[in-house]
Parts: sequence; structure tokens; C-alpha cells
Amino acid sequence: MNWFYIEGVLILAGINIIAVLGLSLLTGFTGLFSFGHAGFMAIGAYSAVYFGERMGLPFAVSVVAGGLVAGLVSLFIGRLTLKLKGDYFCIATLGFGEAIRLVLDNVQVFGGARGWPGIPLKVDLVTVTIFNIVGILFLMFLINSRHGRSMIAVREEELAAKVIGIDTYRYKVISLFISAVYAGIAGGLLGYYLTFLQPKLFGLQKSTEYTIMVIFGGIGSISGSVLAAFILTVLPEMLRSFAVWRFVIYGAAVIFIMIARPQGLMGGKEITLKGIAGILGIPGRNRKTARSGEV
Amino acid sequence: MNQILQQLINGFSIGSVYALMAVGYSLVYSIMNFSNFAHGGVIMLGAYFGFFFITLFKMPFWVAFIGAGICSMLVAVLVERMAYKPLRARNAPFLYFMISAMGASMFIENFVIATIGPTFRTYPQIFPAEPFSLGGIYVGRLDMMMFLISAVSLIALVYFIECTKLGKAIQATAFNPRASALMGINTDSVILTVFGLGGFLAGIAGVLFGMKYTVYPQIGFITIKSFIAAVFGGLGSLPGAVIGSFILGIVETMVSGYIMSQYRDLISFSLLILILVFKPMGLMGKSVEDKA
Amino acid sequence: MELLRLENLTKTFGGLTAVKDVNFTVNEGSISGLIGPNGAGKTTIFNLITGIYKVTRGAIYFQNVPIHDKEPHVIAGMGITRTFQNIRLFKNLTVYQNVLTACHHNADYGIFDAALRLKKFRRQERELKEFAGRLLELMELSGWKDKVANSLPYGLQRRLEIARALALKPKLLLLDEPAAGMNPDETRQLMNLIRRIRDEFGCTILVIEHHMDLIMGICDNIIVLNFGKKLAEGPPEKIQQDPLVIEAYLGEGGMPGA
Repeated sequence: MNWFYIEGVLILAGINIIAVLGLSLLTGFTGLFSFGHAGFMAIGAYSAVYFGERMGLPFAVSVVAGGLVAGLVSLFIGRLTLKLKGDYFCIATLGFGEAIRLVLDNVQVFGGARGWPGIPLKVDLVTVTIFNIVGILFLMFLINSRHGRSMIAVREEELAAKVIGIDTYRYKVISLFISAVYAGIAGGLLGYYLTFLQPKLFGLQKSTEYTIMVIFGGIGSISGSVLAAFILTVLPEMLRSFAVWRFVIYGAAVIFIMIARPQGLMGGKEITLKGIAGILGIPGRNRKTARSGEV
Repeated sequence: MNQILQQLINGFSIGSVYALMAVGYSLVYSIMNFSNFAHGGVIMLGAYFGFFFITLFKMPFWVAFIGAGICSMLVAVLVERMAYKPLRARNAPFLYFMISAMGASMFIENFVIATIGPTFRTYPQIFPAEPFSLGGIYVGRLDMMMFLISAVSLIALVYFIECTKLGKAIQATAFNPRASALMGINTDSVILTVFGLGGFLAGIAGVLFGMKYTVYPQIGFITIKSFIAAVFGGLGSLPGAVIGSFILGIVETMVSGYIMSQYRDLISFSLLILILVFKPMGLMGKSVEDKA
Repeated sequence: MELLRLENLTKTFGGLTAVKDVNFTVNEGSISGLIGPNGAGKTTIFNLITGIYKVTRGAIYFQNVPIHDKEPHVIAGMGITRTFQNIRLFKNLTVYQNVLTACHHNADYGIFDAALRLKKFRRQERELKEFAGRLLELMELSGWKDKVANSLPYGLQRRLEIARALALKPKLLLLDEPAAGMNPDETRQLMNLIRRIRDEFGCTILVIEHHMDLIMGICDNIIVLNFGKKLAEGPPEKIQQDPLVIEAYLGEGGMPGA
């Protein structure tokens, strides 16, 4: 195992963390299930590479712009389906994700099903780390504000949220938008790291894999999501020979978590400096692990 | 003209198999109000059961066919017991059911990949390949059988739901689970019945699909079609699911026949999104107001 | 001063008429009671006022503004909020978070204020937290601040739901069977609490209840419903004597047209 390989795994973990953070906001905090996040990722990836390579925009600008394009598309999908009950949204995202893949398969400008090779490598560990830090901070600050609390209220009890004056539809749309931007940015980074794009990369499997990471980390926990995305990227890399059984175990584990420990790895809690100090036995004024919402 | 009729017949035959899948999905939805994503896994297993019964155990077709249905039924019931019952007992939120269903679907599909392998398998020839002529239109014998079997199964299902005591209990539970539980209906056995019925139909649909195309672990993906069909018709409505399935089957064969087969799935998904825009509750779905 | 007015309010579900041509007004600063046998349409009226159900026919005016075509969150923003018959708390959140979440209307900072932790965010968030803390103290819930709502005893869950509603600083508070499942002692405490809320928060209260002691003890005006129609209206003394009300409650031969 050389550094080049380790760095590669870490970069992939970082990219997954960004996508999972976005999905965590949507599924973990707002309670909406999406099977189409790979679709948003694909849109972000192809737009970013298009902006960067065909229009000559700088790398960072094109990645962020790719994320925004994914966000705009999500507004369209959200407006159509978020007024309906959860299942419709879920099925619509599923249809959307597949439709995006099939469209890309047939658009020859982007290489169709064969893919888009020869993208310059522009992502390194530092870039990914910066995107991660910004992504985590933004989400943390959002969740610990009235906007984040309103999203959690939508997840917890939608009707009660409405009668205390929360525009549940609006918050669902916002949550989906932000989450799609995260997915889009992750897609752009992926393209510039892999140096090629192929519609196949963004199948249903990818969407479910991210959902699983959110669930492993625990519904409603940012640090849980980060941890789960990291572990579930690194672990399979280390257990390559075991690969066929990976998704069998994921499937069983998901059911087990729902039955036995729906709060996941972190149980809705967050790792905080105070909490770590508490575990290590360092005296502090307030020695407890803070719950999400009052960090 | 003849060609249109030809496509129409093909569409009906595919649509009828979609209907077998969609009613099982819709039945579960009507009782439990969540999308049972594990349904696709059961369909896939049905296709494998049938395949191995015929090739490995040399069973006659009809025995293998019914056997596959029964085995799938057991799998569906097992999934309910393992993945959903503990959640029901705890009154868990709807999101958890969806996640658990996703886990079950993933488990089944990948278990098959890990044990049986990802290769494509082809059913042996069971019905003679040469089509028979019906007033100038050629109908494949397999297509004909698919349609007949599905039609008979659907009629049997309607009879069961409309004319038996258990069927009436299903209707009552779909209408109002709390009230029917208070009236002495055993919700648990209703749910088991619904999963059993859905599983059986999924199993035979799997066999029919396997015969028409091939058998492979991702064949359960086809259930997405039955989700779409169920949305067309209105989630939770059985007649809606059947009509939606026929529409989808016909649209798909028309697209493959007259436009381009690569666009078939794309058009199905676009249709789904269009339906959600213009008739979100589907053709026959009832709009529900949140109960406070 | 009139705060809320229902005009020929009608709601049908399919062929079933749950509420039919109901008229009444609620005066500002009053405590009004909505009573009637089960299935009389009381909760349906709450659902219509708060916009959860769409009105079939008729109108609802709040401070002379029609609200029957508005979304629930808009109505809540105008100053009407409620509790539920079957408690609907944010179950997995703490007592404090439940109240804090409902305080959001008292702040107006945007998403970017929050993401960048700007001054506006920090100031308003401090105010929200102070207010939530005060509210918990007032409702005697401070001792339970960090407990998960679901783990609270039943009576406290009811009180928390009221506290959450008060976080909106409502002008009109709708209470749906707040005394359900309470013993006489708890009911008496609740009566005091309702009076105190009216006086200290200056809000008007409309309450659905089956405990007649509570209704007769605190209400200025009582509206009686039966089979979706208004049967009688008036102060407690008048309602207690009303032969129609007595008949509906004792069920002598049932109501005509039932």
C-alpha cells in the first residue's frame, strides 16, 4: 500500500462525504427519501466538466456551478412532487434518476454510453478537504438555526409543523435544493478525479449506497454521516476479496439497524469538542455530548 | 393496420404481466401505506425458482410454475416477518419501513449475485416458437399464454377480494385499519395474506418474464415498471394498477415498434413524471386529507 | 370585540356532512367552549379554522380577514394555533427543542445569516433561546428541559404541547381536549393554567372538552354542536338549563333527523 493508493481512497471518501452530507440533510433531517441522488450527481458532474473543459471556466467555479445546475433541476422536480405524499416524491426521484442516466446514454455530445474520457485530473486531497470543511460547517450552521429546526420539525411531525407556522413545502424544497447542490458538487469532483465520466457511474446502486451511509451514521446526525461515509468507503477498499458479499451484508445490516437501532451509529447525537473532552475525562463546564440542535 | 394490431396484442401481453406485479405492490400499499421495494426481489426469485425447477429438477412446466409461485409467496411472507413486523410492533414511522424495504431488496438481489452468480440464464423452450395466425395477425404462443395466465390470476384475485371473508377483511383494513381492528379483524393475518398473495403473483410474473426474456439478478429492476403502472392508476387502487399496467405495456411496445427501443424506458419514466404533474393522484387514486 | 367569525361553515367528506351551516363568533380575550357528543364535528371545526381541511362552503374570518382559503402555516402566522386531541409533539426532540422550534416566527434571519453566523443571526438566536427558556419556566417545564418529549408523562406532554403553541405568541389558541386522561386534581390545575394563559399572554382561547366541570368553570361562552349543527350557544348557566342540550347529552330518543 503506497501513499498514492491511500490518497486515492481518501479522496474518494471525501467526495462521498460531500454527497452523503447533502443526502443527510434531505433524508436524515427532513425525512424525505430520494432514490435519485445519483442523478443530481450526474448532472453536477457533466455540467462541471462542460463548464470547465468546453467553456474554459476555472476549476472551482465550474464545480460549484455544476452543483447549482443540479440544484436548479431539483427545484423543478421538487415543485412537481413535494406537495404530494412522500411515496410519490420517492418514486418520482427514482424515475428521475433513471431518466437522467438514460438521457446521458443517448446524448452523443457528452460521449453517450461510452462516456467522456480525457478529463484533466484537477482534484487532490487538499481540494477535497477544503470542500469538506466548508460543506460540514455550512450544514452544521444551517441545522442549528431556525431553518434547520423547521426541517427537523417536518421530519418529526408534519402536521404539527404546519400549525406552528412552518411552511413545510418550502422547507422541503429548500432541503432538496441544498442537498442536490451537494450531490452536484460531489459529482463534479468525482469527474475531475476519475478523469472520465460515464452514465453507468450514476446508477440506482449509487443512490442507494448513499442512503445506506446516511442510515448507518444515524438519521439526523452530521458527524454520523461523515463517519459512515468514511468507513463505508475505506472498509470495502480494504476488503476487496470480500466484494461480492458487500451488498448482501449492507442489506441485512440496514434491516437490522431499522429494527434494533434506528438511531444508527451516532443515535442522533453529534461529536463535539465538549463531548470528546468528557469522554477523555477532561473537566469542563458542561460535560455532556450535545444533542443535535444545541451545539 | 395489421401491424398496429400486432403491437397492441404484444402490449397487452406485456401489460398483463406488469399488472401481476403491480397488483401485489398496490395491495401492500393499500394496507400498509408504504412502497414495498422488496417486491422486485421476490419477482426475481420467482424467475429463478421456476428456472431451476425446470432445468435442475426436471419438473413439468405447470408444477414448476405453481411451485415458483408458492416459494415466492413464502419469501414474501418471510420478508414481512423479518423486515416489517418488528417495525409494525413498534409503530415505527413510515420512513423506517421504506428503508427496511430497501435493505430487503438489496439483500435478496445481492444474495443471488453472491451465490448463484450474475450470469444470464435462458429458460428452455416450453411453448412452440412458431406463432399461430389469428385472421392475418400472428400471435406468439408464449405471449398468448402470458396474457391468459395473467388474466386468469387477476380474475381469481378479484374473486378472492370481492367474495371471500378474508378478501372483505382486506378491503376493510385498506379503508380504515384502526376501525377494522376494533371490529375484530385480525390485522396481522390480513397483512400476511396480502404479502402472500402479492408474493405468489410476483413469483409467477417472474417466471413469465424469465421465459419471455432471460433470468438475471437485476431482473427485479422491472418492478420499477410496476411502480410506474401503480402510480398511473393511483397508488393503492387495484383496478388502477391493472389499467395503468396495460397502458404502460402498450405505450412501451408502441415506442419500441415505431420509434426506437432505446427510448422505451426513457419514455416510461417521462410519462411517470408527466402523470405526477397533471394527474398526481393517478387515474383512480383517491386524494386523502391528512387526518388530525 | 370580535376576533373570529364562522359564517355558514360547511364541510362534507364524500357524501357525509360533518359540519353543516355553523355560525358563531369568538370575542377577543374570552375563553369559549366547544362541546357536543362524539362525532358532532368539533375537531373538524378546529381543522377547518387551522386550514388543515379545506372548507366546502361558508367562510371563516379572523380579525375580519377571510382565512378559509389560506394555508395552515399562513393561518398560524396570523396568530391562530392549536393543540391536538391525540398529542402531536416532535417526539424524538427534547422539551426545549420542541419549544425552540416553534419560536421561529419571532425571528427573521435568512439562511445565509445562519450559514455565516452573522450578527443578526447571533442576536436573534440569543433572543429566541431566552424566550424559549422563559416560556418553559412559565409553564413549569424547566426541570424537564433536556428530556425527550416522548419520555414525558402524559399530563406533561399535554402541557408541553400548549407551551409549544404559546411560543408563537398566538392571538387565538385552540385546545382540543386538553384534559383528556387527566384526574380531577390535574383538571383543576389545568383550569388555572388556561386562565393564567389568557391573562398573561393576552390570548383568546377556544377549547373542546368533555369534562363539564372545566367547561362550566372557565368558559364565558359555550357553543354546543350536535350532528354537525349548532344546537345552542350562550353562557354556562343558560347552557346547563337548555332542554335541547340536556336531551342531546342524555340521548332521549336521539335528535330528529339523526
